[in-house]
Amino acid sequence: MSQVFHDIEKKILETLQKVPNQTPEQLSTNTELSIDQVRRGIEWLRLKDLAIVDESQKVTFSLGPNGLDSLKNGLPERKLINMLKDEPKTFDQIRSALSGAGFNVAIANAKKNGWIKIEKNNSESLVSIKEKPIETPEEKLLSFIGQKTISQEQVSNPLAMKILLSRPNYIIETSEKTKTISLTDAALSLDTSASSSGAIDVEADVPSVFAARTHPLQDTIDEIREIFVNLGFSEILGNMTQSSFWNFDALFTPQDHPARELQDTFYLENLESKNPATSSQIKNVSSSHNKNWKYDWKLSESQKMVLRTHTTCVTIKHLAEQKPENARIFSLGRVFRNEKVSYKHLVEFNQIEGIVIGNNTTLRDLMGIQKEFYKKLGLTKIKFWPTFFPYTEPSLQTMVYNEKLGKWIELFGMGIFRPEVTKPLGIDKPVLAWGGGIERIAMLKYELDDVREFYNNNLSWLRSV
Amino acid sequence: MPVVELNINRIRKLVSGNVTRKQILDVLPFLGLDIESEEGDEIRIEYSPNRPDYSTDYGIATGLQGLLGIKKGIQKTPIKKKGNYSIKVESTVTKIRPYVTGIIASNGKLDDVAIKQLMNMQEDLHDGIGRKRKKSSIGLHDADKISFPLTYTTVSREHKFVPLNGSTEQTINEILANTEVGQNYGSVIENTKNVPIIFDSDQNTISFPPIINSALTTVTSNTKNILIEVTGIDKEAAEDMLSVVVSILQTAGFEFNELKITGNKNSTPQLKEKTMIYDPKFTSEIIGIEMSPSNMVTCLKKCRLDASVKGKKITCIIPRYRFDIFSPMDLTEEIALGYGIANIEPKLSPSTTIGQKNDVTIKTKLISQTAVGLGFLEAMNSSLTSKKVLYEMTKRDSSQIISVLDSKSQEHTILRDSLLPSLLDNLSKNIHESYPQKLFETGVVFSKGKPIDESINLAIIIAYKDTSYSEIKAIMQSLLRTNFKINSETKTSKNNELFSKGRHADIFVNEKKVGEIGEIDSNILENFRIRTSVVGFEIKLSGLIFD
Repeated sequence: MSQVFHDIEKKILETLQKVPNQTPEQLSTNTELSIDQVRRGIEWLRLKDLAIVDESQKVTFSLGPNGLDSLKNGLPERKLINMLKDEPKTFDQIRSALSGAGFNVAIANAKKNGWIKIEKNNSESLVSIKEKPIETPEEKLLSFIGQKTISQEQVSNPLAMKILLSRPNYIIETSEKTKTISLTDAALSLDTSASSSGAIDVEADVPSVFAARTHPLQDTIDEIREIFVNLGFSEILGNMTQSSFWNFDALFTPQDHPARELQDTFYLENLESKNPATSSQIKNVSSSHNKNWKYDWKLSESQKMVLRTHTTCVTIKHLAEQKPENARIFSLGRVFRNEKVSYKHLVEFNQIEGIVIGNNTTLRDLMGIQKEFYKKLGLTKIKFWPTFFPYTEPSLQTMVYNEKLGKWIELFGMGIFRPEVTKPLGIDKPVLAWGGGIERIAMLKYELDDVREFYNNNLSWLRSV
Repeated sequence: MPVVELNINRIRKLVSGNVTRKQILDVLPFLGLDIESEEGDEIRIEYSPNRPDYSTDYGIATGLQGLLGIKKGIQKTPIKKKGNYSIKVESTVTKIRPYVTGIIASNGKLDDVAIKQLMNMQEDLHDGIGRKRKKSSIGLHDADKISFPLTYTTVSREHKFVPLNGSTEQTINEILANTEVGQNYGSVIENTKNVPIIFDSDQNTISFPPIINSALTTVTSNTKNILIEVTGIDKEAAEDMLSVVVSILQTAGFEFNELKITGNKNSTPQLKEKTMIYDPKFTSEIIGIEMSPSNMVTCLKKCRLDASVKGKKITCIIPRYRFDIFSPMDLTEEIALGYGIANIEPKLSPSTTIGQKNDVTIKTKLISQTAVGLGFLEAMNSSLTSKKVLYEMTKRDSSQIISVLDSKSQEHTILRDSLLPSLLDNLSKNIHESYPQKLFETGVVFSKGKPIDESINLAIIIAYKDTSYSEIKAIMQSLLRTNFKINSETKTSKNNELFSKGRHADIFVNEKKVGEIGEIDSNILENFRIRTSVVGFEIKLSGLIFD
């Protein structure tokens, strides 16, 4: 239990220790706190099992209009008796003296009290006093209440009250709920002065604040970049807008290949690259296409500007320009596909691709790098399957076992660049290449089943993830 | 990648009686085939476009037999010269669709499942090698309904015949207008007055390539002898197509008879194997395993190729339908598959290079860290956005707009030249979340140049009722000072509809404009249905903190 009290709690405690059982209103007066502060303080103390709140119903009575009239002039039956004091009277005489409904009530009650007798004479009924009418309990109660408001406890004859309540407009009954606050035994013995002054309730609830942070997808990108750097790879950057030459032609994709169609690739309207590559690069790539694919390669097709469909265009261009002898290089960034957006497809996503040239460039090395990469991501159950990529041969894909989904899922692809790709660009050594989409890995990490969530920038997700 | 639906029991029967379901499911991935789904005995298999022979269970069974060691090496395709089958090419087709090739497959039988598979395979061949029937297209006919010799020629668009699946005669024009294939592929021959046609010696129309066959020669489960004809504008592609169908029909039990082809530049197809002689050392170096040449020969045979060791070299015989094999590198992959990818042990060689991040990455990260330190949440938006968000709702100048062609998504049609519009869009989609809302983004923006310039920008936005110009200016200056010690100034700028009049400025560093800052105009906020105050800025980081 917290021994630290808010000033409000302290004042209420001290007041109740002096005078137990007070209403919130009384506490407000005694502590000089506002009624709202008192209510809050009571609630805090109650939650700490220090205060007991008794809710009770208080019933009070006062006289209504008929009651007040009777106080002055007597009840209708008393009025009747007074009228009969001197001589018996006929119904007609009484009716004219006691106005309205008073007649029936007066006759009925006087008869019930045994005060009168009624004799039938010809067509007339004659009323006369039977015995001396003494004061009834109802009359006693009426005069006891008088002009006051009395509580239920003050009513000495509940039967009389019941009778009066049954007669309309004699008694006004009001009931109100009241709270009485008292202290528990533990609270009665508490020494509030012992709690350190200026301390606050450290256990109370507080409003939420949200941490500023980098985007979860960016965190995954950074994590993967870090792994590549740790594996000895250096980062190169390249444009997202590329000529078809570097995106397709240099990668041995024939110009009539379906992947190059508008429905798969984003072409930029009215934009082309006049000199996409050096003249010898163009000449060599062109003749590789003509010879191997047996068609008429056109420069104009290679000049069309596209949004890159992979980061491979960046790495191959780097290799063609720098011709490194021994290097590990990677390129990371957005790539584009003209697809319908769905829970598993985006038009734009992040891809990373690493290449190795020089020493240790066998298929086994490529598989070894993959294994190490996944190990660093915490994925140890992996296997390799053959697959097909247009610009690598042999080509493999990594299958990673996902415990949560209970199945093997496809992650990064890899392969060795085809000689048809590397030779025309003047690269003689084998080049290992591997990479894939980052969103897929991030989806596993954040347990998302809709890839669009990464780009919705939904604050409730970003603030809570 | 294309997908084919197959029955596992049929595959088992084709491979051999003893093979188990499990063996098949285990080996399929090692042929490069992904099992997409498995429901009872029906499995959906994804195959690579470079192996159209895997679009039927016959092709897959041939591959499985190899890897399982049941049947190895090439299936030879003897072509008999029995009968007198021929087709004559007339010169009128030269400028329209110059090549035809074909063969007669005899003494076989296809059940309904096999016919359906062959039809689907034809469509995959049309879309792939055939490039939507433009390059080449294929037709299968009941040869017993045909009187040879055939003529490949042209006819006018008023020529009439009963097309496949039809019951009445229709003109070419009607077929192009009324049938689904006519509508889909009519464009292949749209620029010619006359169209290609194949007649038999009784002047019956056999085929209207590349659109539709005649109803007369429909292949059914009663068909015993099949004419395969392929026409096209690329002779090589036409023979490629033919070779794939031949390999499948051979597995299905057919024999082959020559179809003699005469006419300009045309010739009778030989479907000859290719021979490749190469140095096995190359393969050992690529895979990273010391393998004996005879071991490699075994691996190649498991991949249904033929090979033998001759001296220090390997001679490999490649069947005609394996036109995906270009060079020794492709044979290396075959050897790896024959060896079994699962049997290759990964090896981790220590790196001889030291990894390094790019300077741009490092410095952009520093900026992000400062922004987070100042209380901003990172947003990530697409580079491709919409005209509506980028220009219309923000009333920005769209004269330098960069569009992509034929986007399938309305929201992704324009390359962004600024980050602020997307951030405003983000605020707009979060009006029910608690304020203050503070976002930042770093990302590439695009502008017309040579032909396109890409630079990295930083944008920051603050939204809550008491935010002000001074708050955003303080943030902007702190961001540039931290780590980079850049002093910036703000100078009154000419009106800009994005910002409130008199409450915005240009950002200058060393007398050079690097960005804009201000309170977002209430009309713009209304467009985004944002009901609180918003301030923001955007600066170009390229050229400021890195080149």
